[in-house]
Amino acid sequence: MSEPVIRVRGVNKVVPTAEGQLTILEGIDLEINAGETVAVVGASGSGKTTLLGILAGLDLPSSGTVTLVGQDITSLDEEARARLRGEHVGFVFQTFQLLASLTALENVMLPAELHHEADAGDQARALLEKVGLGRRMGHYPRQLSGGEQQRVAIARAFASRPHVLFADEPTGNLDTTTGARIIDLLFELNEEYATTLVLVTHDERLAARCQRVIEIDAGRIRG
Amino acid sequence: MRLGLILRLAWRDWRSGELGLLLAALLVAVGSVTAVSLLVDRLQQALISESAEFLAADRYIGSGREIPDEFRQAARDLGLDVADTLSFPSMVFASDERNQLASVKAVSPGYPLRGTLIVADAPFGRGRPTGALPEPGEVWLDSRLIPALDVSLGDTVEVGLAELRVAGVLISEPDRGGSAFDFGPRVLMRLADVPATEVVQPGSRLSYRLLLRGDDDTLETLRESLTLEPNFVWRGIRDSSQSIGAALERAESFLLLGGLLGVLLAGVAVALSAHRYAHRHYDHVAILKTLGATPNQVLRAFLILLSVVGAVAVALGLALGSALHVGIVAVLAEIVPVSLPMPSARPFLLGAATGFICALAFALPPLLHLHRISPMRVIRRDLGGAPPSQILSYAAAAAGSLGLLLWYSNSLWLTLWTLAGSGAVLLAFAAMALLLLRGGRVLGMQAGSGWRLALAGLQRRRRENVAQILIFGLAIMLLLILLLLRTSLLDEWQNQVPEDAPNHFLINVTPDQVDAVEALLGEVTQRMGELYPMVRGRILAVNGVDADTLESQRRGRGVDDGDGPRLSSERNLTWMDALPPDNRLVAGAWWAEDDPGTWVSLEAEYAEERGLGVGDVVRFDIAGRQVEAEVANLRRVNWESMRPNFFIIFSPGVLEDYPATYMTSFHLDRDQKPFLNRLLSRFPTITVLEVDAVIRQVQSIIARVTQAVELVLALVIAAGCLVLIASIQASRDARMHEHALIRTLGGTRRLIAGSLAAEFALLGLFAGIVAVVGAEVTVAVLQSQVFELSMALHPWLWVAGPLVGALLILTVGLLGTRRLVSTPPMLVLRGLN
Repeated sequence: MSEPVIRVRGVNKVVPTAEGQLTILEGIDLEINAGETVAVVGASGSGKTTLLGILAGLDLPSSGTVTLVGQDITSLDEEARARLRGEHVGFVFQTFQLLASLTALENVMLPAELHHEADAGDQARALLEKVGLGRRMGHYPRQLSGGEQQRVAIARAFASRPHVLFADEPTGNLDTTTGARIIDLLFELNEEYATTLVLVTHDERLAARCQRVIEIDAGRIRG
Repeated sequence: MRLGLILRLAWRDWRSGELGLLLAALLVAVGSVTAVSLLVDRLQQALISESAEFLAADRYIGSGREIPDEFRQAARDLGLDVADTLSFPSMVFASDERNQLASVKAVSPGYPLRGTLIVADAPFGRGRPTGALPEPGEVWLDSRLIPALDVSLGDTVEVGLAELRVAGVLISEPDRGGSAFDFGPRVLMRLADVPATEVVQPGSRLSYRLLLRGDDDTLETLRESLTLEPNFVWRGIRDSSQSIGAALERAESFLLLGGLLGVLLAGVAVALSAHRYAHRHYDHVAILKTLGATPNQVLRAFLILLSVVGAVAVALGLALGSALHVGIVAVLAEIVPVSLPMPSARPFLLGAATGFICALAFALPPLLHLHRISPMRVIRRDLGGAPPSQILSYAAAAAGSLGLLLWYSNSLWLTLWTLAGSGAVLLAFAAMALLLLRGGRVLGMQAGSGWRLALAGLQRRRRENVAQILIFGLAIMLLLILLLLRTSLLDEWQNQVPEDAPNHFLINVTPDQVDAVEALLGEVTQRMGELYPMVRGRILAVNGVDADTLESQRRGRGVDDGDGPRLSSERNLTWMDALPPDNRLVAGAWWAEDDPGTWVSLEAEYAEERGLGVGDVVRFDIAGRQVEAEVANLRRVNWESMRPNFFIIFSPGVLEDYPATYMTSFHLDRDQKPFLNRLLSRFPTITVLEVDAVIRQVQSIIARVTQAVELVLALVIAAGCLVLIASIQASRDARMHEHALIRTLGGTRRLIAGSLAAEFALLGLFAGIVAVVGAEVTVAVLQSQVFELSMALHPWLWVAGPLVGALLILTVGLLGTRRLVSTPPMLVLRGLN
């Protein structure tokens, strides 16, 4: 059994609202091992997206600890967490989150450029070829279909050779056929790059392709 | 992030048009400030040098005594140009026993240092400029001396004991202006010929002037290095001609104010576009952060981006400002041939500083906020979109405005006034805008669907709309203020010297000539004033104290008598039964028509300078007889009216029995001037004073100032329009989204277009109302405090302001949101626009 890349201990997330304190996550403990594929499922508002944000170091828990690739991210400041994300983490979002002012190629080059890698362009071109967009590198996001935009996002996610890839409803904005193709691509690349995959989804078929399913209900892990 | 990547990101931003508005706003800030200050700088230089012609110099030292040679030497040592003049009254004799009292001016080579002499070959002829002077042994005579003395060119006249040849007719000299009644007909001669005349004796009425020409700093240095005794006065254009000085100062204040407002407007445009840029980059930053960009990297990236944009804006803005300015000067040159002096470096420095200060104070705060955007925003849109710190934004904007205004105006007072005024106005505006929006909603309940939608929209985005009404209102208010000030300044100036103001005076008309002179004048001009009787007399005593004693007492107390004649000097006296036009009582009361008392009315300034007041009893010597009169009132006189005015007016029934001469004023067009030849040949004893050249000079300066004012106004209006566009652009995204939603719910394009139009019209209407209130208050304050003009409300504004506001915002708004109506709603909702 390999070492866990993510270890969560006693995580709570409480946010203030107009009606008082609202508990979103409560007593979360979990471990995810390197190379594992894990689906986080649950009803809308169950807290699964918040959990994803905390696992990826985008947000901090109210209490508890989160260790990501051996580092306790709850003790790091935003500066250090950003560096950790840059080195070890990739993202795929439901709303693609491409930069509208950049072409497909430029979007994919961005992670490598942020790392000052010299061959950002070549890497990005290779990745775009791999996701089947070799002919559309110079297109802007608004000139691409939803499926194509998500493929650009996937290429960008793998551009930084992440240890962990977080995906938030990656097929949520796509039709069933396109969604299925995107999922195939995601799992293909995941295998090729030996990445740990954590995805949040409503899609039962998608969840079924993962090695493990974690179900969240009202802020707690069920079962 | 490395510089290369930041620049690449900046370039990609620019390519997609994201940076365009910010750059445009900065560009206009730099460009308009550069153009305005270039124009102001050069016009100021031109105005000053043109006005300097009134002195024939930049400054002069004047005295009744000879100017010490050390003054002349000190000026030469500093590299200043100098020339000397000596003026004195003297009888001029012609061969056949004719003679005239003339005002002789003897000048040294180099005279005049500013302006030119105009000479002609025949009296009252059309003159030509000349750089020459009368040769030694020669004189140039004023036109009216030629018929009066019955001489022609080449004849000889006597000035004192010297015989001088008449070599030319002097039409005008630059420094002829001044007190209209002190100058007799001019005789221009060489200073070197004065000793031969032997007229310079102890007790002679002499006026020496050392004329100086050079740059302001050197002149100031000279002034500080000399210890001027009270007998020597230092004069510049501002203190020598009141009306020109005041017009210049007002024009400068106005141009300055125009520039200040231009800077503020551009600053608002920069702030708005920076806010929009920042807002549109929330997601951008969040994505960069998920990809590993640290907050510090983000901060550094936007700082560098802003510096690059600032630098580009400054470089382009300076070029744009210069080009704009060159264009304006070219247009100006077609109307009036102007040769403007080269600009100084200050306008360019000012333009560059404006760009960077605008970038720092107005654009930086919203961009600074970007590095704090939470990366969670990529999965939870509601996060990290909190507005940037308002305190920081406002504090930076206030500090930036303060710095810019201070540097631009060099006046803490004007700066604080402008800022405090703007702050108070903003608060008042916000309150008014809220009230208007509330009122609007109540009305909207009964309105048709387009209007209801518009009013609901206005009410829903209350915060943004109050801000927008503020901005629109401020922009419209600034434009109105400039417009109002321009109108009242111009009116005031035009009124100072009306087109058909009298430009000639006749004095020394004897009672038996009155009818004949009146008839003769009636042949050539309709515009002739009344004939006023004049009796010569002088003050002997006030309240029983001898006038000379009084005067020495006052001098002993260090009271300045001003430049005018002494208390006991002989003066022209007249009598009237009613207060003359252009006069205003400031103390006491005018006498009743049938009042049998012996009263006298004094010009207020004349009385104040000599310590006289209502109730004082003044004893006069009139033709050897003594007359006592009590001061009944003090009057302010509008000397610029160019009508005969008097320091001392008696009540009727006192002076009628004394020998009087008459005076009047009339208007003569340029081509009617030869008439004076006829008049003077028939009545050689009458004296004609020509002030038409002086009036033309005043009018040309006023015309120049007017043009400058209008050009600055045009530039400020351009900046104001940019603010409107930026402001509409800033709210475009929110509107677009909302209208896309309405369209998916079945709203037609017509409904959307109609409600948009209604919304903009209402915003403009509200902003117009707010602006009119602000403009009236500000103009009232400015007019009374800065420009010293009289205050008045402007009823037409209360109709025009809101209407123009509605039309303006409607036009700019609809132009700015053309795409909003035509964009398919799906694109907007998917965020793909």
